[in-house]
Amino acid sequence: MNKFWTRLFIIAAAVLLLLFFSNDFGLIDIQKTAVVAAIGIDAAEQEGFCDVTAQIAVPDQSGSGKASNVTVKGASTVNDAITELNRKTGWYPTLVHCKLLLLGEKVADNDVLGVLDFFLRSNFIDDSCLVAVCEERAEDTLRASSPVGELTAVSISKVLSSTAQKTGAVSVMILRDFAKGYYSDAASGYLPFLSVKREAQSENGGSGGQGQQAFAPAGALPGAAEKNMRGTAGGEVYGKDATCICAAGKNGICAMVKKDICAAAERARAFSIKGPGSIWQKLFPRRNPLPVAVPCASGSGQGESSGGQNGGQKSGSDTNADVFDASKTMLFYRGKRAAVLETEETLAFNLADTSTDLAYGNVEVMENGAPVVYCLKIKISGKKIKTDVRGGTPVLTFRIRAHAQVSDVNSSQNIVDVAQTARVPAHVLRAAEEKFAAMLGKVLDKCVQSNSDIFGIAQSLHRFHPKEYKRLKDGLLEKVRPAYDIQFETLH
Amino acid sequence: MDKIKLRQICFLFAVMMPVTKTIVYPATLAYRSRNDLLWSALCNLLLEGIVIALVMFLAKRTKCTFFDLLRNTFGKIGAKIIYGLFALFFFLSALLPLMEQKNFVTLELYENVPPVISFAPFFALCFYACTKGFKTIGRVADIAMPIFAFCFAAILLLAVPHADFAALLPVGDTGAKGIFGGALHGMNWYTDCLYPLFFLGHFEYEKKAMLKTLGAYAAGAFAVLLFLATFYGIYSDIAILQYNTLAEISKYTTAGTSLGRVDLLFVFALTLVLIFYSCVPVQMCVHCVRKAFGGCSPIIPAAAVNALLLVFSIFFNYSFVELQTLFTQKLWFVFAIFAYVVPILSLLLRREPKNKREENHE
Repeated sequence: MNKFWTRLFIIAAAVLLLLFFSNDFGLIDIQKTAVVAAIGIDAAEQEGFCDVTAQIAVPDQSGSGKASNVTVKGASTVNDAITELNRKTGWYPTLVHCKLLLLGEKVADNDVLGVLDFFLRSNFIDDSCLVAVCEERAEDTLRASSPVGELTAVSISKVLSSTAQKTGAVSVMILRDFAKGYYSDAASGYLPFLSVKREAQSENGGSGGQGQQAFAPAGALPGAAEKNMRGTAGGEVYGKDATCICAAGKNGICAMVKKDICAAAERARAFSIKGPGSIWQKLFPRRNPLPVAVPCASGSGQGESSGGQNGGQKSGSDTNADVFDASKTMLFYRGKRAAVLETEETLAFNLADTSTDLAYGNVEVMENGAPVVYCLKIKISGKKIKTDVRGGTPVLTFRIRAHAQVSDVNSSQNIVDVAQTARVPAHVLRAAEEKFAAMLGKVLDKCVQSNSDIFGIAQSLHRFHPKEYKRLKDGLLEKVRPAYDIQFETLH
Repeated sequence: MDKIKLRQICFLFAVMMPVTKTIVYPATLAYRSRNDLLWSALCNLLLEGIVIALVMFLAKRTKCTFFDLLRNTFGKIGAKIIYGLFALFFFLSALLPLMEQKNFVTLELYENVPPVISFAPFFALCFYACTKGFKTIGRVADIAMPIFAFCFAAILLLAVPHADFAALLPVGDTGAKGIFGGALHGMNWYTDCLYPLFFLGHFEYEKKAMLKTLGAYAAGAFAVLLFLATFYGIYSDIAILQYNTLAEISKYTTAGTSLGRVDLLFVFALTLVLIFYSCVPVQMCVHCVRKAFGGCSPIIPAAAVNALLLVFSIFFNYSFVELQTLFTQKLWFVFAIFAYVVPILSLLLRREPKNKREENHE
């Protein structure tokens, strides 16, 4: 070929390749595309069928966006519901941006993979999307309003974010990991158990004292205010009744983000949702509260689209507040609900097994004949869960190393003790170790009772002790003996 | 003469060969070999390495092309017939990677399923490459080297933190059946060792050429194994669901961030490398057709072969699974014979013409 034809050919090939990669001819008009931000799946009245709610983001001129919830009832499969959605609304639903799958509580009574498998088969939804079970119906949960101008799906996603996981308040799960657990030797898994707390009040609603406390994350309240709140903790070392809520619920051990500066910002934001008399609110009048612990309008007005309902916008007149709480964890065995970990158990599990590495914990000790509650700031410096076989018995060893410092004490102390906040008395450290071991024991008991192997004991034995696994695999969890190697050290 | 440099052959193995094993192959291998997929892949890689070593040994001993060796042994007609068979083989071995690539591009880069003809521009590029011969393969290998080195490293850096390499244990869990079954059914992804045989006489055998080639191949093989290990570490028991692995393994670092899927930039770049590497068997096919028909102009065979591939890709548009099953489970022996047995047997070919030998004896 001569040079002219060669050049022409190269240019033509380049242009064609550009079209080939960019797919300019294949785009769907944005006006006809429904960007699905979240999918909620509930059990339908008729057994074997499901109700599917899609929260659809509708961009507007201001750029803030609106949302509509469209529910298809009585679909035989999720795919049927998506198709129905297209047929009813004329919108082409795109699931590429769907980052949340919310399952209604009743769905968990049957094998949840029956509905989740659609998302594993589909190439058009990311398996990194968050999955959670919610109390009652997912449809109702997606109707909760977000007061900070966000979609409900976005607010819930923040409750279930990896940052929330780092604080230990939530056991975050993505679709891929849940499917891996389901198809593993143990056939087990867990999902965060989300609930909407409707009793809380927003700032306009004039919330009471309890409501204010319930919103405050660990360390959010400086000085006496925080002390007063923590002072309500009683009885349990981990402060069962302590009313500090971080990220997603009322944790006895309240967790914190790594950077103190972030924590300070969160304190400011979270504290700003207190009543109108709050000094912090005066200092930061325009700050939005944390979306994870914010009041959400419970209104469910009619949406803009056909069959749609308000999908998470806060109207100006909303006064009732909803709080998303995902501090509980639902355990699964063979895809069905097996047990539920309470808030403290969830946090203990997170501290031992997930990426949580910094948290607050209350420890009660007896000093001079009276109970004293120490609030410790705990930094996990090392964690390992090991399964091995000793004398024919599978042994699950929790090896935890943590550094602690005193964050607060519910009794007055002298100035030297207050100054030496990085020093934790030895008896407090030992009490913390014992409590942590006790909480892990409770978690393990629930695992054994429900046959849900969330610590991956079967998988670990199969990988590292395959011969013993073959011998022990029947009724494995009942044979497991726990061993706790937990050491708390003072920071200095 | 159509020349290629030893450096370019090395790059071909080190940076282009691994990309072909990053689309459907990992999931296919995981289906058969599960957590023993590394051992299956290692079997194939070792076999290929041995064949490459033997071909390089042959290259050291002769400056003849493969066609010359065949002609010396079987005569001109025999050589043309064998080249005709190889043309058919290269056509077959080009088909599945093309379909694989087509599905990958249409699923990962497109919002919706595009029309079949969307993949047609590839054949225009491939036609151009086919008319240019081996030197384009070499040049593309040079270009692909930095692209691959940067993008592959970036994708692995994003993916490795999410991998639990303990998922590869226990070793030998699927037994010999799983390991060797996976190796046999993965033969069609391991035909790269055949290329040096056709490069014979087209490159200068330099000092330590064998060491360089095998070193480059080892680097490529290591990249393949690392990719497979990371892939299985991320997905373990659900690995068989991940058909387009290259676009999947790195997303967990970036998908949740405000940046979004920035890893797709690296995926696009590697897709480009893959496109060029997908042309290589087609170029080989055209080379063989030309030789079989007595060294005709490349334009006609290039146009014919690419047109046929386009027709086949349209015809098999919805039959990828059937095609894959046929190639991996039924025709594995064809790949074994052409890619491994023939190159080994080529060591026995006459390096000098019959007449010349007779003359020397006299």
